[in-house]
Amino acid sequence: MAIFREFFLILLLSAVGAAFSLYHGWAPLPWVEPKLAAGEIRLVDAQALDVIWLDTRPVDAFESGHIPDALFFDEADWDSSLMGLMGAWLSEPRPIVVYCGSENCGTSQRVAGRLRGALPDAEIYSLKGGWDAWAN
Amino acid sequence: MGQLSSKAYFVLLARLLLSATLLFAALPKIGDPVAFATSIEGFRLVGRQGSLWVALVLPWLELVVGMGLLIPQIRRGCGILIALLLLLFIGLHTSAWMRGLDISCGCFGQGEEPANYLWLILRNVGLLIAMIAVLIHDGRNPQRRCLKEDVPAS
Repeated sequence: MAIFREFFLILLLSAVGAAFSLYHGWAPLPWVEPKLAAGEIRLVDAQALDVIWLDTRPVDAFESGHIPDALFFDEADWDSSLMGLMGAWLSEPRPIVVYCGSENCGTSQRVAGRLRGALPDAEIYSLKGGWDAWAN
Repeated sequence: MGQLSSKAYFVLLARLLLSATLLFAALPKIGDPVAFATSIEGFRLVGRQGSLWVALVLPWLELVVGMGLLIPQIRRGCGILIALLLLLFIGLHTSAWMRGLDISCGCFGQGEEPANYLWLILRNVGLLIAMIAVLIHDGRNPQRRCLKEDVPAS
């Protein structure tokens, strides 16, 4: 029976550690469903699809690093950016995932909303967590 | 101080290697459980909430068994759990490899390259063999082996 006492002690210590993580806010509460806004997609789901990545961050941020094969999309230069995107999408129609810098940057949701109007047949999402989610 | 045989040296080295591996695996994941949860989700076996539970508990279990492997009173239980964890990891990596998943292991926290399955499986098989050798050695040398177990002095 001594082995069961060992298992019990090990599991108890692990549970205490997990409670410590929750108490200090190191870990999110697992029983709280993470919120996903309409039109958002999580990184793990986007990675499972063959998608067109659309980077809406400033050009210097794009040049210093971006998701492989991502297209730069300048919202201020909408028409030419849209033409570039349409070229990629028409040659091989795939879901489009728009991202900006972080969870709360807002640009990706705004651009995704505008693109749904411009490309009504396309499947368009904004990436939850943005570039930060990818970089982490 | 008595001299250690070459077998005893090997067991000590294996015990330290296993303990260090588990501690180095656990600490980054305790610090960033969300990144670890994302890696777990990549295996496509549990949902978001399930992966958050695993990411919350598993690193602490690794930490406890990693340290416990060096504590005579609980090292047998820790050794058995480590062997079971390694078997689980080997099964998970084999499953992901067969399904052609392109994932990061998440074994030592974030920032890892995409998984090299052959290397991951061979590494865990090596650790499992070392763990089994340590368990066999401990079984043959039961002094102060486990909690409240009366072992006659040899």
